[in-house]
Amino acid sequence: MARWGMTIDLDRCTGCGGCMAACHTENNLAAVGATETFEEDRAFHWLKLLPEVSGAGAEAEVRYIPHMCVQCDNPPCALVCPVHATYLSEEGIVAQIYSRCIGCRYCMAACPFNAKVFNWYEPERPGEIEQAVNPDVSLRPKGVVEKCTFCHHRIVRAREDAASAGRALADGDVTTACAESCPARAITFGDLDDPESRVRRLSRSPRAFRQHADLGTSPKVFYLGEKE
Amino acid sequence: MNATPTPTPRWIYALQIASVGMIWVFVLSISVWILHLLRLSYRLNDVPSASFAISIVAIPVFVTGASVLTYVFVGLQRGASTEEEP
Amino acid sequence: MSAGYDDQDLELLRPIEEAGSGFRVMTTLMLMIILGGWVIFSRQILEGLGVTGLNQPVGWGFYIVNFVFFIGISHAGTLISAILRLSKAEWRRPITRMAEVITVVVLAIGGFHPVLDMGRPERMLNIFTAGRLQSPLLWDVSSISAYFMASTVYLYIPMIPDIALLRDRGVRPRWLYNFLSWGWQGTQRQKAVLDRAVGILMILVIPIAVSVHTVISYIFAMTLQPSWHSTIFGPYFVVGAIFSGIAALMLVMIALRKIFHLERYLKEIHFAHLSKLLLVMSLLWFYFTFSEYLTAFFGHEPSEMRVFLYKFTGPYAPFFWGMVACNFVIPVIFLSFRRLRTIPGIVIASTAIVIGMWLERLNIVVPSLANPRLPFPTGFYVPSLVEWAMFVGAMATFILGFVLFARFFPLISVWEIREGRHEGVSETVERLESYLPDPPENLAVRSAHGEGEAT
Repeated sequence: MARWGMTIDLDRCTGCGGCMAACHTENNLAAVGATETFEEDRAFHWLKLLPEVSGAGAEAEVRYIPHMCVQCDNPPCALVCPVHATYLSEEGIVAQIYSRCIGCRYCMAACPFNAKVFNWYEPERPGEIEQAVNPDVSLRPKGVVEKCTFCHHRIVRAREDAASAGRALADGDVTTACAESCPARAITFGDLDDPESRVRRLSRSPRAFRQHADLGTSPKVFYLGEKE
Repeated sequence: MNATPTPTPRWIYALQIASVGMIWVFVLSISVWILHLLRLSYRLNDVPSASFAISIVAIPVFVTGASVLTYVFVGLQRGASTEEEP
Repeated sequence: MSAGYDDQDLELLRPIEEAGSGFRVMTTLMLMIILGGWVIFSRQILEGLGVTGLNQPVGWGFYIVNFVFFIGISHAGTLISAILRLSKAEWRRPITRMAEVITVVVLAIGGFHPVLDMGRPERMLNIFTAGRLQSPLLWDVSSISAYFMASTVYLYIPMIPDIALLRDRGVRPRWLYNFLSWGWQGTQRQKAVLDRAVGILMILVIPIAVSVHTVISYIFAMTLQPSWHSTIFGPYFVVGAIFSGIAALMLVMIALRKIFHLERYLKEIHFAHLSKLLLVMSLLWFYFTFSEYLTAFFGHEPSEMRVFLYKFTGPYAPFFWGMVACNFVIPVIFLSFRRLRTIPGIVIASTAIVIGMWLERLNIVVPSLANPRLPFPTGFYVPSLVEWAMFVGAMATFILGFVLFARFFPLISVWEIREGRHEGVSETVERLESYLPDPPENLAVRSAHGEGEAT
């Protein structure tokens, strides 16, 4: 059984935001519009770039941290869900069942990483976005919580492809939309339990760290770079 | 006591018994619901211990509440019998 | 006991027997306010939770604040009345009924609030079919429903003799009183049954009441969020709940005393006793608040400090310091000095406390959510019209509940007052005598005859 994980090299990241755009189109995220985003504080992304400023004045340096659900092995959100709508799947992905979610937003309140987003209105896909919907990813109704799934549909498809070709899933067969779109190749996705995988090797690099590992949730997204 | 106690009409008496019965239906369905959730947590490999702890606290509380009500109802019916004391 | 009842307490039944137009006017007015609230709320059902002021970091707002607040108020009743009954405080007699009514009405209002907060209320049934008892929300569902059941029973059972009184006086609707009186005739055996049932219930109700607000605090305390993840949250919430409950009870008592002219029953002495209790709770509240924030400040953990400063000097400073003023400074000033502890003084202190406890719930829910651990922008929350409308609607529901109750049932327990007149006095004297040291002859006899053989 795979245990999916990701590494993000912050020294390679240019902060271009390509991963955000790729994530939006891949996962059929609703377009909430500028008013909602800026005036109502309802930015709607599964993956966003968090600016981290160090130093001040002319010395100030900014680096961007691509931030999505870190897929905790001990997810605080899944602990509190009253209806089993969010849970840790067997492959270590924190999954969300949209058709069961009652929209109480307890998981959002419990998530120390603010990784979840809520559909405040009926999701809109204006203009061509409607035609560009990815058929592999379900469309969410209003009033439910959603989050990064590690492009779970890609994993399913890659596994089917491998099975029809009569071989096992190999490292590099699956990659997420954000990793695929990254021009600097900062993001690596793969099986953390596969001894041969790149992601496993990178996650053990001395540069690797995890966000708020002190909370004991054991995230599976590793960042490479200088810690804070 | 005062004046003549109004005799309870039959249909009201039936209604009273039905309401006490309803309380038991309510309490028993809550207990069944809690047990259902307990079974569900076993089936889904969730955390049965937590569910078990909640259910051994919650069910007796509901049952006690319903028992007190039933006790009062039965006690009042029995106490109101013809053997009137001085 | 002797037959015939004192006519001097029958004025308590007057609002029921001679229900005037005031009742109809109030009911219509309150129903209109509630209806207006629902009309405004319908936008949320049609368009989604977007019509509220909730946003990405601050996912919980007014609905959850009011949920915690109303459930807190509900501790007025049952807990206070159970404790007073248990400690055989004779001055409880005119108070207990009102306290219990507050509990039942407010609990129904508060318990409904999480449904308003849901993104998909039509999926409520998922809680029954696919619920997880592991989630603190389900602990709430079970403890609130247990409390609601216990407090309704606890309101109802001591009301049976009064309902029978109304039945015997032929008050309409006759069938209602006949149905609810459960064949009460006031025989000795029936009284014994009632006494025993009330005795069981008052003990049962206290742990349930404590558990309810503890479990509500667990909703917050079980998460890892800064300034929520605290072990004293359980007792802190319970203390706050009793505190706001007594204040609300005093306000209700003063209002009803004015409306129904109950000055003969609710006397200065009752307010004096309750206000001393309120003063103690205020000090206790301050103690808990102080230790809660001191631990956060002394530890100086960055994410904890971000929330701390948000409350102390940041955007929530007016609410935080307003809370301290309302919950500590004003009540202590008005309740400590006998000269200020008058009815107007108590009104000021109690109003301040009710507002202050609401602010406390706001200060707990919003700042922790507004300050994420990661470098997200700090959130801010401004409630929308829909949320205000539901708040006003909840208040109107509270008043409506009281109006309806006062229309059909006596607000002060007639039989308990009467019992106090006839039996309470002699019983109290007897009890007091039993507390006093035994007379010396007894001692002499006992030591002479060895153990047990007292005269």
